[in-house]
Amino acid sequence: MKTRRDFLKATALGAGALSLTPCLSAFAGATPAAGLPKRFVFIRKSNGERPNEVALPTLSEKDKALEAKKQPLEVDLRDRELPVYLRALEKHKANLCILQGLSCTMSENGHYSYSSIMGAFKSNRNSLSGIKRATIDFELAKLFPSPFGHIELSLTGDYSKYRTGIVSGYSASGPHQRNYCYADPQTAHNELFRAVTNPGAVDSDNAMLSFLENEEAFKERILQGYEKQKLSSHISSIEAVRARNLKLSKMAGSIAKHIPQIGKIHDAGGLNASSPEKEKAMTDILIAALITGLTNVVTFTIDELSTPVRGLAGNENDRISIHAIGHNESYSGVPADKIRENIRIGHMRQVARIVERLKAVPEGKGTMFDNTMIMYFPEGGETHHGHGTEAPFVILAGNNCKLNLAGRYIRLPFHGTEGHKTIGNWYTTLLNAHGNPIKHYGDFDLEMSRKKLEQTGPIKQLLS
Amino acid sequence: MISRNTCCSFLILIAAANAFGAAPPGEPFLVGGKVLPLLENYCVSCHEDGKTKGDVRLDNLASLSLDARLDLLNRVQEQVYLGEMPPKKKKQPSEAERNLLIEWVGKELRAHGASKLEDKLRKPEYGNVVDHEKLFSGQYKDLPAFTPDRRWLISEFIFDAKFNKLFEHIGQRDIDGKRQQPIGDNNRGGVNLTNPFLLPTHSGVRYYDTAALDGGHLLTMLTNAKEASAHLVSLAKRKNHLPAVSAIMGAEWAHEKILTTRETYLKANIEELLRGLYKEKHDALLPKFVAAKWEAPPVAKGPDGKPLKKPVFDTASPGNAELSEIWGAIRRNFKEGEKEDALIVKCERDWFHFGVNERTIQTRVAFMHGYMEDLHKRMPKAPTAQSKPLAESELAMYRAALSKHRKAGDTYSAVIAKCLAEWSDEFRREREKTSLTDEMVGKLVDQLFTKIIERAPTSQEMAEYVALTKSYVPKVGTEKAIERLIQTLILRTDFVYRQEFGEGTADALGRKMLSPRDASYALAYALTDSSPDKELQDAVKNGKLTTREDYRREVERMLKNRSQYYVIEEAVERSGSDSFTNIPIRKLRFFREFFGYPGLLPIFKDNKRFGGNYVNTAGRIVSEADMLVEHILKQDQHVFERLLTTEEFFVYHSGDDAAMTAATALIRKIYDYFKDKDWQSFDAEKLRVHIPFLKENPMPGLNLDAIGKVGGRSDQVKIFQGMMTDYAQRLGKGTTVTAPFSSVFGVPSAAKTRTGKQLGSGEVAKAFNIDMTSWNYPTAQPAKMEHRKGILTHPAWLIAFAGNTATDPIRRGKWVREKLLAGTISDVPVTVDAVIPEDHHKTLRQRLEARTQAEYCWKCHERMNPLGTTFEMYDDFGRFRTEEALEHPDNLVKKMPDKGSPQADLRDIYKTLPVNATGRLEGTGDPKLDGELRDAIDLADRLAKSTKVRQSIIRHAFRYFMGRNEVLSDSKTLIDADQAYIQSGGSFDAVIISLLTSDSFIFRKPITH
Repeated sequence: MKTRRDFLKATALGAGALSLTPCLSAFAGATPAAGLPKRFVFIRKSNGERPNEVALPTLSEKDKALEAKKQPLEVDLRDRELPVYLRALEKHKANLCILQGLSCTMSENGHYSYSSIMGAFKSNRNSLSGIKRATIDFELAKLFPSPFGHIELSLTGDYSKYRTGIVSGYSASGPHQRNYCYADPQTAHNELFRAVTNPGAVDSDNAMLSFLENEEAFKERILQGYEKQKLSSHISSIEAVRARNLKLSKMAGSIAKHIPQIGKIHDAGGLNASSPEKEKAMTDILIAALITGLTNVVTFTIDELSTPVRGLAGNENDRISIHAIGHNESYSGVPADKIRENIRIGHMRQVARIVERLKAVPEGKGTMFDNTMIMYFPEGGETHHGHGTEAPFVILAGNNCKLNLAGRYIRLPFHGTEGHKTIGNWYTTLLNAHGNPIKHYGDFDLEMSRKKLEQTGPIKQLLS
Repeated sequence: MISRNTCCSFLILIAAANAFGAAPPGEPFLVGGKVLPLLENYCVSCHEDGKTKGDVRLDNLASLSLDARLDLLNRVQEQVYLGEMPPKKKKQPSEAERNLLIEWVGKELRAHGASKLEDKLRKPEYGNVVDHEKLFSGQYKDLPAFTPDRRWLISEFIFDAKFNKLFEHIGQRDIDGKRQQPIGDNNRGGVNLTNPFLLPTHSGVRYYDTAALDGGHLLTMLTNAKEASAHLVSLAKRKNHLPAVSAIMGAEWAHEKILTTRETYLKANIEELLRGLYKEKHDALLPKFVAAKWEAPPVAKGPDGKPLKKPVFDTASPGNAELSEIWGAIRRNFKEGEKEDALIVKCERDWFHFGVNERTIQTRVAFMHGYMEDLHKRMPKAPTAQSKPLAESELAMYRAALSKHRKAGDTYSAVIAKCLAEWSDEFRREREKTSLTDEMVGKLVDQLFTKIIERAPTSQEMAEYVALTKSYVPKVGTEKAIERLIQTLILRTDFVYRQEFGEGTADALGRKMLSPRDASYALAYALTDSSPDKELQDAVKNGKLTTREDYRREVERMLKNRSQYYVIEEAVERSGSDSFTNIPIRKLRFFREFFGYPGLLPIFKDNKRFGGNYVNTAGRIVSEADMLVEHILKQDQHVFERLLTTEEFFVYHSGDDAAMTAATALIRKIYDYFKDKDWQSFDAEKLRVHIPFLKENPMPGLNLDAIGKVGGRSDQVKIFQGMMTDYAQRLGKGTTVTAPFSSVFGVPSAAKTRTGKQLGSGEVAKAFNIDMTSWNYPTAQPAKMEHRKGILTHPAWLIAFAGNTATDPIRRGKWVREKLLAGTISDVPVTVDAVIPEDHHKTLRQRLEARTQAEYCWKCHERMNPLGTTFEMYDDFGRFRTEEALEHPDNLVKKMPDKGSPQADLRDIYKTLPVNATGRLEGTGDPKLDGELRDAIDLADRLAKSTKVRQSIIRHAFRYFMGRNEVLSDSKTLIDADQAYIQSGGSFDAVIISLLTSDSFIFRKPITH
């Protein structure tokens, strides 16, 4: 039986206001042995990611031929020209990895993948029962506990306007457990930095918890046996949450120091804010959440097919449907491919800002970025109607990254061939490298199974 | 090595201080004198140094650390209690000796608070531990039955039902053409809740009273409580269904409403009002407008130099709200004969003067330039003015405010904002004159407590909650304080736990009847996920829930009710199939969970290996398995036997025989009409000749008005010919009644589901080995199916108990052993690598046998494999087979296409080996049934005849309705339920009534230790 002391030991080390991410283990546990936590940022983008657009433009003839045939290859990208949309990362090439050839057929693909791209399962059209397991971000959050455990942000819409407030997310804290996410910068700001922006609300949280604890403690006294244990467990849970709130209140000073200022354009959901403005504000919040230590894992859905893109350079006056450009429709004389590229350029500006801001914050003997990994990837495979045979990942990894990634352009063997790797292998690699010895994370690829090809475990060539 | 004598001397030595009792914490470990010989006789001979069977050594107990010793003793306790040790082939202790040993180990463990057995025995996986023969022997039927007083954590289903009730959320479905309000629709708009009370996903009974709310639940509930409280208050504001909330917030909300009305009025009339006020000076006071320079964008061209598509109107549309603004501006500014550019500039100026965000203006302008023609064409009629002209006093108020606040250069929005701010301040001051009274807060507490906890607060609770609510107000304001009160109530234990406590005078055995209120919940939750219905509430109120007969009356009433529909499973609905029932949902759910066939849904399987579109078919397979169970339950005769042996199945059927008959007849009629005509060479003109016939007999997917008008994929002649080709392929080959599925892309099926959706996924037929081209479709179903007998041969069950790419005889056998034969099987030892080795020259059965034949493996596998291998007559998609395909690239005989019509079998062809589906049944206790098995059909037949199987299902039903494992004192309850089944001719309703009127259900006793 778990005693109350055990419970507190397991839960009270985290602190914080009432988090949106109800996965207790993400708050719990001891500080990692190495002392400094590892951080992970997952940036999901929609409309697929065409492998040729991520390929290095100046490969040798031999490598070009391999790339064209989707044969495995590996190139040091540090002295290579980057694809146009990745140029914002020029200064960070030493930390950059372009990982091509991963497949994701076991996730949903097509227009939307919902939770499935980060859980390596079919989400059954986003039904709750389709969520088969905790997504990879939540699994990593368990390994690197923090006050909020895990934070999810999104910039999605209903095709005509952006969603606002707190809405259903795409990550999952466990089977059948859909996460919430903050859908606009102002809401994210209000909720995450509440210890500073709204201490009255935090006080009333605590008053409520205190009242509930006393009320249940009174009932508990007259019970015996496992009925007593049930109430005891309830009370212990309340105590743990109170302890977390207290700790968050104590962090108010640090939060106040790093709290981002976001413009008035984001008031009331920011319906007039342009897409670049929203992306920048959300990224500022993401960065502050990492720097203040509120979380070590953030998932950011930077766009979705339903996101109405506004204020994009070259299409300032258009409201662009990402779905329409997926079907090659042009706006204001700008071809769909160019708009797609411009959108990605905007995304990469934000990725570069995260890298640069974290590189400016000292940590240990280096900077915060040394302990950070950022992954930018498509939610639905290789194109607008992806099948999931390819899902290119653009990865930025700090110097203390436990994987052998930096400065490499890697194309893995193609789907359904010997040595091919899936997102399941990639997530297993992440987990194995950071302390979770899981044999394999995620569902298997059925074509690989049919062909009796080995597909279990991590990508060994990436393990340092 | 320590010799036996040394070992015994060691144990005796440490036993000297205490004859029997447990070693108190902190004192040396001792083994009692009576126990020592038992250990020596039955245990140590195998578990001593040098003979550590199973890595267990018992001769060094005293030298182990406390944690290690307690861990080992827990293992000993479990093995001895479950009869797993000593092994069957070894000398066995008498019952008294075994009890002595168990008592000693238990004492030792309890002295350190470390016994795990009691907790384990309460878990579902230990349900079969109580000896089956003892339970049904009658030897224990005089023991007094009761359930302990308990709080029972709500289930995932009750969670949803509770919040649906709070929000007054009612689902809607049109079933058989009639609007119904099914329970279980959780598509609540405007609020995001996460369900933390998820049940485990294993087959069998999943909802037990053993779970306790933990930190994870609480964190989720905190977030849910916040969301729910905000939503409830917003509902109260819109619907006024919480009068006490409205009484407190009414003035503020009324003021908000007035402000909204004034804002709307000003937005519509500000220009006119200001012109009236400022006359010729008005324009000079406006902010200076300069139209943005507009240049038509270049035509986008692709790499080939050809122009690229621009989005169609609907794709580029900025949304209804924006369109409404654009159309409004066009209406205000349109002048016949004026150029479009001038109109757009006027609209732009309007918006500029209003103060619309510059980016929004330019987006509107760009859209107008791109789609002006469409905007004119699609412009809706102007809304007619509803409001009456304002009274002069009101107009004066507006004029006064505008005069006061307008400054040169102000946009209209800025002026309106200043007016609203002033009025808002006035209202606030007015409200501050009245304070929040204790009476108002008291009413609020009473109403919310009653709504959320479903009872009135006690006087003490009332006082505490009033004080608490008042304490919130200064911190967060009135509205948020109300939300906090709601959150506090949602987080109470009596919201998240069901209460089941005895009340009144105890009988001679210390048992009390459930309190009437708790009984009403217990009965309601036994059959549904909802709180007590009106009849149950009335029974409580009128003192009519105090006797066994009262319980019977209510249970019978609920079981008979067919007027309430329930959603069975959201995931099945999302797949396009229906998923509803009108029998009490928990009755159907028992068999869903017991058989575990919905476990099919999360299994990721390969379309290619299915030979068609499996992904879209999975939901239909489950839906039709549900229909079959429901069909048998509705007949309520010989339910267990029919579930195990029915030869009739639903395959691609809506559940409405008449509608299915009509759909198939339509296809026949169309085919017969055209078959002798030269339909292959029809053009639009020739097809139009037959419009009168086609109007009377509409061909699915054919739009008669579009014949000859639309090309491409929508070419109606092509659609017609595609459909006729398909009909001819099927009906021209001897099929007399063709299934109404569609095999032409984009064309709907001829049949609909009972909720009016397209009846999709005709490829479900493939799971039943049906050739879709020559499928003679019985329109009245369920209908007889070859090579199948009962749910265990239904593809749903077979897939649920299979892997991604292969069958799973072990899990199938384990299921039969545990669920039907009341048997137990230990978990796989951690030291065992439970993987069947690959060998593409052998069948799975051959590989399994090679892997499990070792004695160490076989002692468990002998209880599973001989049962599970009988199902090898079906593949992992549930298809009957006599040959097993050796699916390996080396065995590929023929590669088949990856794409094709639904009728095509796209499976690659591999070398095969004959299937061996023989097995052996042991454990029914009936020598006429035990013995060699021919196959799964033979197994199903024998199981259906077995008394033990029937009783095993009764035991599971007991657990399902009681939420706990049975114990010996429940013996009479089980025997009565079994007899009720027999005497009623196999009615499951009779079983439910018997269980819910038994002492085990009615009587409660407090836990006193």
